[in-house]
Amino acid sequence: MRTHRTEKNSAGPTRHRNSGPGRLLIAVYGVFALAATARAVFQISTKFAEAPLAYLLTALAAGVYVLATVSLAMPGQRWYWISVGAVGLELVGVLTVGLFSLLDPEAFPNDTVWSLFGRGYGFVPLLLPVLGLWWLYLNRRGRAVEPATERASPTA
Amino acid sequence: MIVDGFFIAGVIVCLASAVICFGAAAIRQPPNDVTILSIAAVELFLLVYGVAAIIRQAGGEAIAGEAWEFWGYLLTALCIPLAGFWWAILERSRWSNVVLGAVGITVFVMLFRMEQIWDRVPL
Repeated sequence: MRTHRTEKNSAGPTRHRNSGPGRLLIAVYGVFALAATARAVFQISTKFAEAPLAYLLTALAAGVYVLATVSLAMPGQRWYWISVGAVGLELVGVLTVGLFSLLDPEAFPNDTVWSLFGRGYGFVPLLLPVLGLWWLYLNRRGRAVEPATERASPTA
Repeated sequence: MIVDGFFIAGVIVCLASAVICFGAAAIRQPPNDVTILSIAAVELFLLVYGVAAIIRQAGGEAIAGEAWEFWGYLLTALCIPLAGFWWAILERSRWSNVVLGAVGITVFVMLFRMEQIWDRVPL
């Protein structure tokens, strides 16, 4: 982590947000997209009536993870903003579901990816959108249509 | 409590692979033969585990949980090293080794679930 900034600077503006640490981010998002999708399919197909809200939230989480994975991997400004939206929605989702599952455990059985801030998944669901938004913030200028002078600033 | 020998072997293979790949990333190596062979070992272990599971189930050994859930995990886990390999070799940077290390961690977690399904061990 410590050195990626120098790497990025030395490589110049050719680097994309799906490069370097971004590849790891996309890989982890991919794993969560897979896990949440499999879980949503399993829950909805076998026991939907038990907790419809929790299982629909799992399905929503799955969709958000898939969108985040794809949009982070795709080049271009439009995909950049889609990934900001997807990762932002993920952060809102994990905070909202985490808070409500803490305040009202009865309404949220421990059955979604985002329950208790993602405790069942080692709190990675809470960490991931923070790192994701930070990464997108670091990479904002590489894709933005801004004056060239803006890019000359040494610190990203 | 009884922990499956296959599970212990798998944990060792996965964690050794993760340590090798993260170590290579720490000394700023792009993916090389050693790191790629380490995730190949993970894939090989999963294939052996799968074949052994077919033999054990055919031999009448009971699974505590749902068989289809076990096989769902195993078939998905088999794709993880392949996907990680593909994603990592597209760009030869040390971050690709971190991706390969994440393969070992992910398969480790899935083995953990498979062991829970097979033996219903409250690990």
